[in-house]
Amino acid sequence: MPIDKIFKDDASEEKGERARMASFIGAMAVADLVKSTLGPKGMDKILQSTGRGHSVTVTNDGATILKSLHIDNPAAKVLVDISKVQDDEVGDGTTSVVVLAGELLREAEKLVTSKIHPMTIIAGYRMAAECAREALLKRVMDNKENAEKFRSDLMKIAMTTLCSKILSQDKEHFAEMAVDAIFRLKGSTNLESIQIIKKPGGSLRDSFLDEGFILDKKIGIGQPKRIENAKILVANTAMDTDKVKIYGARVRVDSMTKVAEIEGAEKEKMKDKVNKILAHGINCFVNRQLIYNFPEELFADAGVLAIEHADFEGIERLGLVTGGEIASTFDNPESVKLGHCKLIEEIMIGEDKLIHFSGVAMGQACSIVLRGASHHVLDEAERSLHDALCVLSQTVNDSRVLLGGGWPEMVMAKEVDELARKTAGKKSHAIEAFSRALVAIPTTIADNAGLDSAELVAQLRAKHHNEGCNAGIDVISGAVGDMEERGIYEAFKVKQAVLLSATEAAEMILRVDEIITCAPRRREDRM
Amino acid sequence: MAAVTASRPRASKAESFVDNKRKEDIRSANINAGRAVADAVRTSLGPKGMDKMISTASGEVIITNDGATILNKMDVLQPAAKMMVELSKSQDSAAGDGTTTVVVLAGALLRVCQTLLGSGIHPTVISDALHKSCAKSVDILTAMAVPVELTDRDSLVKSASTSLNSKVVSQYSTLLAPLAVDAVLSVIDPEKPEIVDLRDIKIVKKLGGTVDDTHTVNGLVFDKKVSHAAGGPTRMENAKIAVIQFQISPPKTDIEQSIVVSDYTQMDRILKEERNYILGMIKKIKATGCNVLLIQKSILRDAVTDLSLHYLAKAKIMVIKDVERDEIEFVTKTLNCLPIANIEHFRAEKLGYADLVEEASLGDGKILKITGIKDMGRTTSVLVRGSNQLVLDEAERSLHDALCVVRCLVSKRFLIAGGGAPEIELSRQLGAWAKVLHGMEGYCVKSFAEALEVIPYTLAENAGLNPIAIVTELRNKHAQGEINSGINVRKGQITNILEENVVQPLLVSTSAITLATECVRMILKIDDIVTVR
Repeated sequence: MPIDKIFKDDASEEKGERARMASFIGAMAVADLVKSTLGPKGMDKILQSTGRGHSVTVTNDGATILKSLHIDNPAAKVLVDISKVQDDEVGDGTTSVVVLAGELLREAEKLVTSKIHPMTIIAGYRMAAECAREALLKRVMDNKENAEKFRSDLMKIAMTTLCSKILSQDKEHFAEMAVDAIFRLKGSTNLESIQIIKKPGGSLRDSFLDEGFILDKKIGIGQPKRIENAKILVANTAMDTDKVKIYGARVRVDSMTKVAEIEGAEKEKMKDKVNKILAHGINCFVNRQLIYNFPEELFADAGVLAIEHADFEGIERLGLVTGGEIASTFDNPESVKLGHCKLIEEIMIGEDKLIHFSGVAMGQACSIVLRGASHHVLDEAERSLHDALCVLSQTVNDSRVLLGGGWPEMVMAKEVDELARKTAGKKSHAIEAFSRALVAIPTTIADNAGLDSAELVAQLRAKHHNEGCNAGIDVISGAVGDMEERGIYEAFKVKQAVLLSATEAAEMILRVDEIITCAPRRREDRM
Repeated sequence: MAAVTASRPRASKAESFVDNKRKEDIRSANINAGRAVADAVRTSLGPKGMDKMISTASGEVIITNDGATILNKMDVLQPAAKMMVELSKSQDSAAGDGTTTVVVLAGALLRVCQTLLGSGIHPTVISDALHKSCAKSVDILTAMAVPVELTDRDSLVKSASTSLNSKVVSQYSTLLAPLAVDAVLSVIDPEKPEIVDLRDIKIVKKLGGTVDDTHTVNGLVFDKKVSHAAGGPTRMENAKIAVIQFQISPPKTDIEQSIVVSDYTQMDRILKEERNYILGMIKKIKATGCNVLLIQKSILRDAVTDLSLHYLAKAKIMVIKDVERDEIEFVTKTLNCLPIANIEHFRAEKLGYADLVEEASLGDGKILKITGIKDMGRTTSVLVRGSNQLVLDEAERSLHDALCVVRCLVSKRFLIAGGGAPEIELSRQLGAWAKVLHGMEGYCVKSFAEALEVIPYTLAENAGLNPIAIVTELRNKHAQGEINSGINVRKGQITNILEENVVQPLLVSTSAITLATECVRMILKIDDIVTVR
């Protein structure tokens, strides 16, 4: 007797071999898509939006590319997710993780066709990953004790991260900026207090780091443009009128004078509110919402600097850096925590006027002003700088560093190869495959730079046969070189995260033997 | 190690086999799109460049010579072409002038890149070589530049007229150039002499007359009529001006209200009250001695009513209504007064003073002039005239370019020769430099050096000269050390261009070359177009 349909219409089910093929292909396609962005000579992609305006983004950042893709393949979605996690956790290595996972799957596919059970592959991969991690741990360098050396380590890490991005030409400048900013944070990983402001015009080299906080707003008309020892009240309150929120509330009057009286009363109420605010003994008032002309004038009369329409992010940060609390009622001045800073003044960047708060209560805070030719450049510069900042802040906490340029992959591959030789049974095939997948990273870096990857990787492998070798691919000169001399460093945490999450993702996809696609939710026909 | 270095050139040439078809397709599609954009504006370069007529989607017609405007209105779709448009916009905001130059330059660089790519050089190598030649070019240009002082008004005027010469309004350059210089110089704040905020210069367009009638107004100009509704005054000497942000109309509360009228007498009373209310306000205004009111536009309720206009007219107060909120800052800065947001705060010390406020008829419309302002702020108003809307708009754009040129000179006080002289000199020096470089780089730099000749070539071509003869002669002159030789388009020959007073700010040239290389490098580095949400 035929079984009744289990699934709804339009739902589909793929089983066994087909399901595995589908997920392999999907994952590899995604990996291949971002592969060409890897390394210092990686290429960029144009992301063309199909939405309104057909806006265009040019980027080299793996996470950004993957985030914005239309993806229907479930396995590909897993890769997109690990890249996202990598972005949130450590900020860099978003492309590497996807490429490695893709390579692991590519190798797995070969193994599966040669009739090795996925579970055996998984077991082998696990052993290999563990072994690779051990290998890295043996070779890490830690300069936490030596402050000066630590700083230079950080500089090198920042430069390595930045050299694959748009900022590569000015990497010293930006690395210096990023390291300074991170040192201000004093070990906290809260990147919130580093504010990045983008202003078109000028060139990337004109970007600078500034202590304090910059707000992209205007000072009200007729108010002081410079305040020393400012006491700041950060507020989120309606400065137009306090409306009665009950729907349909209305007053009935029988004469014009009464309307005028009500209007007068409203004005009076606003005046009271302003007076209450002024009673806090402040000389700067920042509001998230609009400040209408009338209260603005009252503030101007009182010599208070009032800033209107500071958006939500603006006041949150301002509250954070000046140590003030966001207030919305003003009845008890003593309970409201005011923000403080030494100096507020108007500065001009490019064609725009901004407000600069310096000497803020929270010493960590600083602003990075990015300048660049166009919005494309600025957006990409912001993403790159954000990556560098993330990596640095992670490194400050976990100060272990590694060399870069394919060095860690080669070290891992060597150890994993050794393990494969020692291991008995089918697992050793999987372990060997893992090592091949690791080597794919330096191969890709070399390929992207237009170098002869087969030749270079062979040379590299030969070099790494010696104990304690520091060889890696020096893309700039196009040859194998000593990574320590070239100052190409990477954070241990990033590499570890790449290794572990790529293995996990590959494992997860390998385990799949059936894909069930649910019927899409039907939309009502509104047309 | 020796073996490695020896194998290097081979390694980079003998690229391992990969299927790069798609990537190359995308790259060449991008380059072609970029070049197409550059070709579209090429003919508008230079003093004898042609104009473009653009008919926009809304049926509006624009005639312009300004690269940024042409590209902006072209409405391109291809991403790389869009980047060229962005490039021109960036140049517009960075230097204000040279918006065509930058695109033509980028187009020429793209063309050589295509050849270089075709001969199998890796895009990143080309991109690095571009960056190096760009840095070198900026050095060369800086070495060529001559410093200029702000007190040297003649030089400033010369560079402004160079910019104006390529526009529709070139025959008026003798009028507009000094005008632009004076306008910019008058808004410089002595405390911050490096920065000029062009928002302090207000350009008012008025149809009618010719461009010849354009002039600066020492004071404030509004393209607004004085309210005539009730026969109020249209001319006021010894004016005391108030800028108000409240409304002179019957009260309106924020809470919804309704007046309940139950019989006829009440209605009468309400009318009377309304009258009294307005009268009370006007009395307060009159009490401060104010006789000119500038009223901010209001969306919530009528700024003025017929009734209040009538009373204001009776009180001999001149009314200008519908002043935009954005303009308030400029107006108060100029008049040196404070905006008044409430009738209770209407005090004499917030008023501004001027000798004369009058309405003048110009063409078919009227404008309002405020002159002889006491303690006038550092602002300037320019009244632009033109015989038709197209000329008027183009005149405004040209004037804006000229203002930008002067602003460039204020922030970076160096001048450089025009007429293709810097480009040919760059080409010569880069060519010489390429010979001392090694490997691929030298080859790329040499090609870029040749690409830079596109500017003098196009200048000559647009002027109807024989481009090849001109460019070779120019090259010859420069090789003999006459670094200021350039194309004199008027005479149709090569002369010392500095003596011909064809000069432009250094910032325009350097920013054109840096922005063009940055854009080309970005296009080169792209190997895929991904469609996203």
